[in-house]
Amino acid sequence: MTTVTRLAVASALDTASDALLADRAADGDVRAFEVLVRRHGPLMRVHATRILGSNDETDDVVQESFITAWRQLPTLENGAAVKSWLMRICGRKSIDRVRARRDHADITETDAAAPAALTPHHVAETQEQAEALARCLAELPDDQRRCWTLRELGEYSYTDIAEELDLPVSTVRGLLARARKTLLRELEDWR
Amino acid sequence: MNTPDTPFVAFDPEEQAEEQARLSGHTIEDLNDYLDRGRTPSDSSIDDSPACTTALTRLERLRSALRRVDSAAVDREAARNDGWVATIIDSIRLETRAGRRIPLASDSPVARLALTEGAVIGVLRTAGDGIDGILISRCRLDGDVTEPGAPITVRLEVSVGTDGMDAGESVPVLTARLRAAVYAVLVQQTELSIAAVDITVTDLYLRTTPSTPEGDADE
Repeated sequence: MTTVTRLAVASALDTASDALLADRAADGDVRAFEVLVRRHGPLMRVHATRILGSNDETDDVVQESFITAWRQLPTLENGAAVKSWLMRICGRKSIDRVRARRDHADITETDAAAPAALTPHHVAETQEQAEALARCLAELPDDQRRCWTLRELGEYSYTDIAEELDLPVSTVRGLLARARKTLLRELEDWR
Repeated sequence: MNTPDTPFVAFDPEEQAEEQARLSGHTIEDLNDYLDRGRTPSDSSIDDSPACTTALTRLERLRSALRRVDSAAVDREAARNDGWVATIIDSIRLETRAGRRIPLASDSPVARLALTEGAVIGVLRTAGDGIDGILISRCRLDGDVTEPGAPITVRLEVSVGTDGMDAGESVPVLTARLRAAVYAVLVQQTELSIAAVDITVTDLYLRTTPSTPEGDADE
């Protein structure tokens, strides 16, 4: 009986709105928080990996982000905005890592680990194209890729990116323009 | 990678002069902003330029291609089962939200017993979860819970699942059931003196995913 109830609640929570889950989690409900982790964690992992340039530190950054989120949830006023709030925390943590790396003189420029190539045979052309684009994105110069990720996944404004990365807005715009033109070129190759 | 016939919108990422010359004075970024604005207000210097319209089409194709790239990457992450979710949950479990200390009477002069506010809220949430069609979102204990006997008002914000309600059920029926459950559990497990249980329905949600459309909804 209790098992049945727990299962029913699990499924009710699984489909519950972000606002409800954020409110419950703010009140201390770990299960509601877990649903948020499953729902938004994957996007945060992609976000962190793109900003970091490899997935070596993705686990750490995403875990830190969620721990911070758990502590600060009671201060989040609009639970419905929890997704973008989480993405902000994750973006900031990732950038902090990049900065810390830079401070430690030895810059181990991780060879932008291209996303693991899938088995090449029997893939539809659109998939090949998607893989080529993914690789192109991964191989963008670090600063371009970071701006691009904050803009596209983090949904930051140009001003917010500039603030976060400590760059002039005009530079951010220039970096995004170069990234976009590089990606357009890649796409042209597939015409 | 410079082919003799450079494809149309594949401008040199480091150059702007050629780009502007070919795009009637605009840049790829201008055009991208135009798309972001939903092409409003309409700009005839863009709309009437064949070069610009071609570039806009390419930009839209790039967007949808990148959306596929992003969702594939997200799907790959979601499919991971290396326990990353469990690791996160284990670490936050260590940080409970205790809240205030709610004293319990004790026969012994030296023993001091108390519940944490967080524990009581957890118990209330569980009581709510036991009622099909109710999900408690927020829960507050208003009043000085640290003072034995002080009147406490329980304030609940709840979501009610409306579809698939059994015959005779309605929002007031469900909330009355919740109120009774809340009183029962508080009497059983705490010594709080409950002045009122205020329930606010902040959301009506669909209990079942609408896989069977219309059909039995009208029944």
